[in-house]
Amino acid sequence: MLDYRQIDWKLIAAALALSLIGIVLIFSAQYYADSDYLQSYYLRQLIWLFVALVVFTAIVHLPFRIFDLSAYLLYFVVLILLVLVLVIGTSRGGAARWFSFGPINLAPSDMAKLALVLALSRFFAYTKLPVVSKRRLALSGLMTLVPVMLILKQPDLGTSLVFFVILFALWFWSGLSPWYLILLLSPLLSLVTASHWLSWAIYFVVLLSFLTFLKPGVVNSTVVVIFNLAFGIITPFIWNRLAEYQRLRIKTFFDPGMDPRGAGYQIIQSKIAIGSGGILGKGFLNGSQSRLDFLPERHTDFIFSVIGEEFGLWGALVVIFLFGFILYRSIRIAARCRNRFASMVVMGAAAILLFQFVINIGMTLGFMPVTGLPLPFISYGGTSLVLSWALIGLIISADYRWQEY
Amino acid sequence: MERYKISHAGRERFSLVVVGLVILLLIFGLVKLQLFGHSEFLKQSENNRIRVVPIVPRRGVVYDREGRVIIDNRPSYTISVVPAEEVKGRTLPNLARLIGLDTLEIRKRIKKNMVSRYQPTPVKKDIPFEIVAVLEEQNRDFPGVSYQMERVRQYPVGMGTEAFTGYVGEVSEEQLAKNRMYNYRLGSMIGKEGLEKYYDNVLRGKEGTAYIEVSATGQILGPYEGRGKIEAIPGADLNLTIDLDLQRTGVEEIDTFCCGAIVAIDPRSGEILAMLSYPNYDANIFSSVIPESLWVAISNDVSHPLLNRPINGLYPPGSTTKLLTVGAGMEEGIINESTTFKPCLGGMQFGNRFFHCWYANGHGRLTAAHAIEQSCDVYMYQLGLKMGVDVLSRYFGQSGFGHVTGLDLPNESAGLNPNSDYYDTRYGKKKWTQTLVLNNAIGQGEILSTPLQLAQFFCGVVNNGLVYRPHIVKKITRPDGEVISVSPVVSFRLPFTDETLALLCEGIRLVVEGERGTARSLRNKYYSVGGKTGTSQNPHGDEHSWFVGVAPLENPEIVVCAIVENAGHGSEVAAPLVGKVIRTYMNKKRMPEDLARISSAGKP
Repeated sequence: MLDYRQIDWKLIAAALALSLIGIVLIFSAQYYADSDYLQSYYLRQLIWLFVALVVFTAIVHLPFRIFDLSAYLLYFVVLILLVLVLVIGTSRGGAARWFSFGPINLAPSDMAKLALVLALSRFFAYTKLPVVSKRRLALSGLMTLVPVMLILKQPDLGTSLVFFVILFALWFWSGLSPWYLILLLSPLLSLVTASHWLSWAIYFVVLLSFLTFLKPGVVNSTVVVIFNLAFGIITPFIWNRLAEYQRLRIKTFFDPGMDPRGAGYQIIQSKIAIGSGGILGKGFLNGSQSRLDFLPERHTDFIFSVIGEEFGLWGALVVIFLFGFILYRSIRIAARCRNRFASMVVMGAAAILLFQFVINIGMTLGFMPVTGLPLPFISYGGTSLVLSWALIGLIISADYRWQEY
Repeated sequence: MERYKISHAGRERFSLVVVGLVILLLIFGLVKLQLFGHSEFLKQSENNRIRVVPIVPRRGVVYDREGRVIIDNRPSYTISVVPAEEVKGRTLPNLARLIGLDTLEIRKRIKKNMVSRYQPTPVKKDIPFEIVAVLEEQNRDFPGVSYQMERVRQYPVGMGTEAFTGYVGEVSEEQLAKNRMYNYRLGSMIGKEGLEKYYDNVLRGKEGTAYIEVSATGQILGPYEGRGKIEAIPGADLNLTIDLDLQRTGVEEIDTFCCGAIVAIDPRSGEILAMLSYPNYDANIFSSVIPESLWVAISNDVSHPLLNRPINGLYPPGSTTKLLTVGAGMEEGIINESTTFKPCLGGMQFGNRFFHCWYANGHGRLTAAHAIEQSCDVYMYQLGLKMGVDVLSRYFGQSGFGHVTGLDLPNESAGLNPNSDYYDTRYGKKKWTQTLVLNNAIGQGEILSTPLQLAQFFCGVVNNGLVYRPHIVKKITRPDGEVISVSPVVSFRLPFTDETLALLCEGIRLVVEGERGTARSLRNKYYSVGGKTGTSQNPHGDEHSWFVGVAPLENPEIVVCAIVENAGHGSEVAAPLVGKVIRTYMNKKRMPEDLARISSAGKP
């Protein structure tokens, strides 16, 4: 049996508070819905919360070594599932795919996040390759790219981004300096800024001064500059070859206001919902934006807008504070874990939570693209909730056993 | 390679800083929206869900002088389908059977009229109440079908009332753009003709406003409680000076002919008792959507049903204005009551042309009163020649010809009263001769008058020279109960002395009661009638038949002016017609009030 005094109850309390807030918000979001089915979403979420807590408890009780040993196995099982879901899975509207078991839908992409965290953690924990080595980068990059390619076929850009975030977080946590990571990322920045010659010129000035400051050596500098130049030159070339609708899709990804009927509509209505909430909010069940259907996806992706509208600034700050607390604790735990694998896992879990948290809330506030990433713990959806609690379970477990090597 | 690494403590610090920055960023975003953008976003969220819906006020009802309804509002039902609630295989087939349209047509109309899948989309307008009753009773067979009621103007059919009622129609986009009409919006009903147009501000009332709450899909959820609705103010009711009994007699008598007009005025006040134009049209059709084919048919009709003859029909007044010629002669001192001219031998020679009198046998030597009685052209020719074009024209002008009467209906025509200046511009200086005065003296030639102007002139003659402005509204009753009575206004005074007027009245009397009067057929033993016949030459066809009648002569109460186009002599067609209208008036007057009510109730 576990020694319950050694468990970080505050962290569990924060996660539980977010889950309960989520159920209350789902109740509110669908309170005026036409069908009993929609109205009962909060009950389904409550059942899922029990499932999630069972999973959580199981993870906390298992010895951490099991995850270490089964990491690669889990990774390959998930890869097989990702292939299978492309073949026999159900899809809605051409987007993400599930396995349907009666009323239960399982999205293997959520499992893949967990599997990648474990597999990469194991890789970084035991590899003998030096921290700054091209083989180390290439191997871990490949481990990430394989599931990403499978998920992109679905296609789900938001989820794919989560995998890269995990990779970068673990690169960083295994000892790579953020400056080095920025150099790695720089061709992508070149790609984005090359849409206009002026922004590209400014970017290059910044890049060159950055290189002078960092002094990575003549060879490396030349490689970085060549890659940046290549990406920057290719961009306008590809851009002009794209069809108009493809260009529009990319533009609206970065600026939803350009498409006021599609993605822009959601953003505009979400901003109206949050803005009209003010400091105190309109009150529980009184949000006109969500009650009158103006807010789409209000029980899933845009659930934060319901908080903003009905509970105002203070309600939103409570949620942000709880997330901040969970992340703060996770980082502290990752830092003090003596087991390298456990430390990596905690960092990976924290990275998933942080990324989904900031992308989702940023999207409802209107300064992040619409990606379809749910808000952990709060958004309606069984797999998302179970994954969030599984991550908390790993964090709590690692913390409980922080002294183990 | 060391500079690419980060220490253990450095990693932790950097991670915490990243989390802190992200949280600050989100809080910044929240504060921007909820603190600084709050009022703007709150307004937007209100606009999102509140629709402002006009409440259309009841348009004023119009009654005749005895309180009988002329223009009413009737309920009109429109059938609509809410596309989102339609059940395949049930809604449309059942509806098609009920309203007698095929499903394809219904589908086409839904597609054309649809605003939102959740809003009722009109399918058929103005359906009979029986169908509404079926819908109410068997609503389970018609999922998604609803009906809406609106008020539609209802005008009498076949009473010739279009001449003054006009009709209503939707405000056109150009109208809205051209005039600054703050009280109207696209789709508002506005008076297009007649009193509906002239009294539009009075009749229409004031639109109210309701605030309703709608969902994002356009579904109407009910009234919005946050803002009270503003009730509509109904329009004011009008009581007209029109007597529907006279109107009916006029229509019954005139409809054996092609075209014409009747105007009846009370000379003591200017109240218009009857006014009709024939052929008439159905104002009800004009108040809704006019089918293209009907519009073409009416526009191409040679009898011009849309020409409002009492105020827009322009005709030479013919012999009816011989009164004016004689009156002018008296005032100018050219004649007195016993003056005679060269005898009428069926015409007279002037220059190298022989001017005929209508009576080929000749009237012989006549005094003024008898010249009116027998409508002798030769007498008028000689009198006219002594005055000249401009003197006669001056009297025409002072008697209201060439000027609008100013009655309370829109677009009245002024007619034409030619003088030297007119002829100079028309024919050129010195290119015309005094011969023209011969025509004018008998009411022919270029001179043009509306039936209303002619009736107005006779009103003055029998009312001691006082001409009251003709008007059609007697009383305005506002919805708050305030009553505005329209009092008679003296428009002008005829340029004749009492002595002259007495002579003219004698002439009028002789036309009916004189031994050789042109309208002897109107003589009866119950009341005294006077009048003047007229036959105006028409270059396009047969002569127009005029008659202006007055009764009772001792104390005139009614002047009736009738013109029947292309019907020949005034004495043969227009005079009996006017006689019938006068008889209706005099009969009503003689009968006790309750008896009158019984007799009018029995009529269709």
